[in-house]
Amino acid sequence: MGFGKKEKKRSSDSQSTSPCAQLRTAYHNCFNRWYSEKFVKGQWDKEECVSEWQKYRACLSEHLDDKHLSRFLQAEGGVDLVSPADLRNPVDGSATGVSS
Amino acid sequence: MVKAYTQEHIYKHPWERVTSASWRKFADPENKRTLSHILEVDTLNHKLDPLSGKLYTTRALTVHAPGPWFVRKIIGQDICHCVESTVVDAQSKSMQLTTRNVSLKKYIEVEEKIRYEPHPDNPTGWTVCRQETSIRIKPLSALASMAEKVELRCAEKFMQNSVKGREVMERICKYLEAESRGISL
Repeated sequence: MGFGKKEKKRSSDSQSTSPCAQLRTAYHNCFNRWYSEKFVKGQWDKEECVSEWQKYRACLSEHLDDKHLSRFLQAEGGVDLVSPADLRNPVDGSATGVSS
Repeated sequence: MVKAYTQEHIYKHPWERVTSASWRKFADPENKRTLSHILEVDTLNHKLDPLSGKLYTTRALTVHAPGPWFVRKIIGQDICHCVESTVVDAQSKSMQLTTRNVSLKKYIEVEEKIRYEPHPDNPTGWTVCRQETSIRIKPLSALASMAEKVELRCAEKFMQNSVKGREVMERICKYLEAESRGISL
């Protein structure tokens, strides 16, 4: 019966967000459409896909148990994570907030 | 011990289309086979500045650990999480992506920067992509003694993957081109 136990194809944390796959697809489809049909054409004054984002994000916060990743999720509106200054200066481990 | 590599590629497609393709690069099911090292892509955060037309996004990429089998053996896992930060400035037409690994950092740090801008010779028709990859093995890690070899193999893998990435980008651009013709008649 040793072989009866099915081996998981990937380790559990790589699958942690797959329960959100449908919500993720819905959000990404909406985002892609907004990006190519509005944002790059100068209509950037209004945020769209808000309800898709909220549903997807709620699912992520429930299923994302990797601590490396969840701190990025917690930083709601954390512009400093992706500011141009950050892009120029590589962040070392101590500056990324892991310490707390 | 830092190794840096630069690549440049010109897409014969406008900036708007190329950056649209960049967002779709990992998500398209057809490309999943080509870019099979990417297992999951999740958007963790996004923010739009409605006044300046800047979009900030943070995504998580779950990747098959880069590098040869002996590296995987040492680090004891075969997946790696990376965080990709993107800034798109719709007004000045620039897109900048920075991807770094957040796991396995005690062994290795990989940073990849990609920048898409309109090509100066044909700003409305072509896009130039500059890609900079730096790989750094931590000096006191278990990998340090074979750092040279590991860095080399990592770099090879990155180069292979970025060639695949370009193929996927070109394919999506063609698809988007056809789509836009269909919509705009």
